[in-house]
Amino acid sequence: MIQVHNLTAGYGKLEILQDLSLSFGARQLSAVLGPNGSGKSTLMKAIMGINRIFAGSIQLEDRELVGMPTEAISSLGLAYVPQRENIFDELTVLDNLQLGSRSLPGDERASALDELLELFPILGRRQTQRAGLLSGGEHQMLAIAIGWLSQPRIMLLDEPSAGLAPVVALEVFSVLKELGQQGITLIVVEQNARRILQYCDHAYVLREGRLAFESTAAECLADEETIKGYLGLR
Amino acid sequence: MPPALLTTSLVNTIQIGSLYALMALGITLTFSVMKLPNFAHAEYVTVGAFAALIVSLAGEVNPLLIMLAAFIVGALVALISHVAVFKPLEGREVSFYTLILSSFAVGLILRYILFMIADYFNLFDTRIRIPLQIMLRESYLILTNIFFWVVPSSILLVIALTLLLNRTPLGREMRALANNPGLARVIGIPVERVKSYSWLLVGGLAGVAGALWGLQTAVSPLMGWAAIISVFAAAILGGLSSFAGTILGAYVVAFSENTIMLFLNFNFGLDLAYKPAIPFIIIIAVLLIRPQGFTELIRRAGDLQR
Repeated sequence: MIQVHNLTAGYGKLEILQDLSLSFGARQLSAVLGPNGSGKSTLMKAIMGINRIFAGSIQLEDRELVGMPTEAISSLGLAYVPQRENIFDELTVLDNLQLGSRSLPGDERASALDELLELFPILGRRQTQRAGLLSGGEHQMLAIAIGWLSQPRIMLLDEPSAGLAPVVALEVFSVLKELGQQGITLIVVEQNARRILQYCDHAYVLREGRLAFESTAAECLADEETIKGYLGLR
Repeated sequence: MPPALLTTSLVNTIQIGSLYALMALGITLTFSVMKLPNFAHAEYVTVGAFAALIVSLAGEVNPLLIMLAAFIVGALVALISHVAVFKPLEGREVSFYTLILSSFAVGLILRYILFMIADYFNLFDTRIRIPLQIMLRESYLILTNIFFWVVPSSILLVIALTLLLNRTPLGREMRALANNPGLARVIGIPVERVKSYSWLLVGGLAGVAGALWGLQTAVSPLMGWAAIISVFAAAILGGLSSFAGTILGAYVVAFSENTIMLFLNFNFGLDLAYKPAIPFIIIIAVLLIRPQGFTELIRRAGDLQR
């Protein structure tokens, strides 16, 4: 669904991704793994047109994304949930949700909100509160909810479980699984490889800005030594 | 302090404070949405006053139409300064200081264009042609028709702005942009369009403030500039982010400049020439003691309510 060809991207003069090529399949949960600084987040931002792209191309179903402004990319049905600063913390939870659904036609907005509150019941009880007061898990749920509300075909999530207690992280993963069952293509950056491999269909391991290894998640899990080697796990 | 003096100073506090609030909200809005402490805001006020003056000299006597003209001209000048100066500079990712200095430059250019216009049409020391009438006289309390134009208009505009920000999709997008511009872009908010609307709004409100200011004093190319430090003091009291704090700050500054100044003058013989020092003292005190202004207090009160 998304094809990345010979991509070199980074920030300012710094090239972080080096000549990276890979492709993400439709209706799959793809995990992007790798140590710190390997370029996982850079890849997400490059797809969304947020950072600097030096060379290469990124195609969504034969449509070139490189050079498009972020707003236009998101209007193609991509939603990106950044790792940090991923909610409007000064605004109420309801404001956040309404901003998430702003691009939907009027009549779909209400039903999308209803459906959302079923998926994330906790947010319903907190609607009038300032989003900055949410707990870590609720915060992350809200961030995912904002992305989901635009009814995207593809969601890119940058370390959705970072900083969460293990039980809460499991809740986040089960939400991701549910989103996957709705037919949304998910691309998830994760530090915690072991956990995400149990949920994902395909895994990519980046190292120093290049694709070091890719396989189906089942193979990854079976081939423990490989993954330990690539991820530096012991 | 004699009651007559106290009453007059309190009336002035309300009248001037309302105008400060109208001007300072624009500063706060520009700072939070556009991330720019815009000193040219002073000149949007002056431009509005001149627009009002010219329309009134042309024979218009309805204050509402005069204010509308000031709104339109102020809004356009603000948008032009964004398109011609601030937006291209942002595109080059210049530093915060360059932006501040450029706002001074925009202000200077506008101010001296107004000097040229005032000179050419002989507009120095002219007043907007709405005659002063006394509407209410109750022992020491004297209220003029100017008071009844300035105070309700300012308060209604502040309420309208608050409703726009809190109840409309555009207002929500402006608040989102102020809070987290990166995420606003990511979720597809048309950032440039929201900014343009914000500039129109900010410039328009400053223009109306100028028209109202021009009702109470003679219109001069320096009038906005003369008020800008007081207005910034009000915005800084609001932490440059909170609207309620900014409004409160505007009345605090007006109260200090009018009532407290008169009190010090009457009881301790402090010369009235020290009045312009008051906003500077407020700014320095706030930045030293409580740089966030009233923001945190107001936010906490809000969180408790919910």
